[in-house]
Amino acid sequence: MQLDKSDLQEALRILSAEAGVFVPSVVEGVSRFALWDGESSIDLSRVNTELPPKDILFPQTEKMYSYKMGKNIEIKEIIDNPKQVVFGIRPCDVKSIGCMDKVFLEKTYVDSFYAGKRENLTVISVGCTQTDRTCFCDSMGLSPSDAPGADVMMNDTGDTFVVEAYTDKGKQVMEAWKPLLKKGGKKPAAPECTLKVKMSPEISVKLSKMFEHPIWEEVSRPCIGCATCTYVCPTCYCFDMNSDNHSSEGTKFRCWDSCMFSDYSRMAGGHNPRPGKKERVRNRYMHKLSYFNERYETSLCAGCGRCADKCPAHMDITAFIDRVAEEEMENA
Amino acid sequence: MHSINHECTCSSNPLIPHVCQVTAIKQETPDVQTYRIQTLDGQKPFSPMPGQLAMISLPDVGEAMFSITAQGEDYIESAIKNAGQLTQAFHEMTPGQQIGVRGPYGNHFPVDDLKGKDLLFIGGGIGLAPVRSLIRYCFANREDFGHIDILYGARSPEDLVFKEDLSLNWPKEKDTTLHVTVDRGNETWEGNVGFVPAYLEELAFSPVGRKVILCGPPIMIKFASQSLMKMGFAKEDVITTLEMRMKCGIGKCGRCNIGSKYVCLDGPVFTLAELDELPDEN
Repeated sequence: MQLDKSDLQEALRILSAEAGVFVPSVVEGVSRFALWDGESSIDLSRVNTELPPKDILFPQTEKMYSYKMGKNIEIKEIIDNPKQVVFGIRPCDVKSIGCMDKVFLEKTYVDSFYAGKRENLTVISVGCTQTDRTCFCDSMGLSPSDAPGADVMMNDTGDTFVVEAYTDKGKQVMEAWKPLLKKGGKKPAAPECTLKVKMSPEISVKLSKMFEHPIWEEVSRPCIGCATCTYVCPTCYCFDMNSDNHSSEGTKFRCWDSCMFSDYSRMAGGHNPRPGKKERVRNRYMHKLSYFNERYETSLCAGCGRCADKCPAHMDITAFIDRVAEEEMENA
Repeated sequence: MHSINHECTCSSNPLIPHVCQVTAIKQETPDVQTYRIQTLDGQKPFSPMPGQLAMISLPDVGEAMFSITAQGEDYIESAIKNAGQLTQAFHEMTPGQQIGVRGPYGNHFPVDDLKGKDLLFIGGGIGLAPVRSLIRYCFANREDFGHIDILYGARSPEDLVFKEDLSLNWPKEKDTTLHVTVDRGNETWEGNVGFVPAYLEELAFSPVGRKVILCGPPIMIKFASQSLMKMGFAKEDVITTLEMRMKCGIGKCGRCNIGSKYVCLDGPVFTLAELDELPDEN
């Protein structure tokens, strides 16, 4: 099926009657996903938004429960799972949601906060028509024009979008759009990333044997520990839990944390198992490319390129992967 | 966006603590107290396996993971050392104080693998706390296990935790030998003086048919492990527990990983052979 581009706003208006619709926007000069007001323009001009869409499912700060201290402690869970749609999300960011699904929904415990939001989210992906300087999703096994984890997949043909439903949630969207959809439409060929990276399953295995390798001293040298890489990363999910306390009552919240901060792993008494940037950079790269693969059978990197684009010290995960690919293992 | 304040004290959300109460407090050493914890209606908050952990909180101060030292019909106990802001607040509590509790978390001591074996428990300082849950389990199921040796060391006589167990309760148990040592004695101390690893080598335990449970500060674990290897113990037969900073306790928040394992979920109990498979980072 296809949707005329001139009908896009109307299509989103239909969805926004029942759900908050997030679209790629420019907010105070920064490109990110924001709740659509029903009128403002939808910015599909960029390959990727500067900030990732992860906060829709995993807010930067998320209230968990309120409490009142005193002789009796009162604890009240805070549940906030509105119906939401994210429109215009690229295949790399859809894959990133898949990674977060594994973390929050699998392996013994289900994270109730995430699960509630995920259940109520519909994902409408729009494939890329071009690629960016730091994009490398096709080296990570993805296609710039297809997001298997989306509910609805749309691809730009010039005047129209080709629209396909991948899930039941997707079929409901197509049903709601019925008056606007036309038959036909041919999915365009996927663009190719210009940046090619030598990622392979062997890299993950090789890395698992490189914990003591001298490479870490060298690759971590430029890092200033600012955590920009983890902030802009669509898959980085580490969080802290803390309280906003006002005398005897307050709110317990969780918020994004970063493995690049020294406080992250420091224990009461002062011991820190990852005391310097060598250990912290190593943990981040190993987590993305090896530990996560071991635990969940996929990389914790979708190749969106945001970390390489935004790092003030010009650290680049793609250069790191290529460096590992070329490393002679005798040194390990 | 709308917000619903959901009133519920029995949430299935694993990150929401249950309100419990501290019904008894025992001063073990100048900086260690044991807290008896019960639900508000006097029940046991949950039934942990030996070695499992609990997240204990004062919501306005903080929340942290602690080993569960013991359990009875209607309570669990945790022995906690005053080491930071939250534990300082615990040490200021009086009986009747309400706290938040969630758990139990983590794996547990492999009790089935220990059946029929002689057991050597080695504890250093507050490291006797996680081991105590297993020692009590073994005494409660005494016929399942062979001879039990308990080697415990602390900095000084006054730093010995669970003094009543060490001097009164445990020596009375069948087929059980206690070996207590301190780094520095005092005028009244008549027991052994010396570090745990040296005393361990002096006692010359045979590795045949014997499993070791080893908990204590990292430096003691390191040297006691070396001693055990020298004495001929296999790494598969030495079981220890790890500590890492934890926030969620359910394998999500990220910080307690060692390689691809999360100490809160896959640990805290590992054999030395299992630790050899992990990156050296703890």
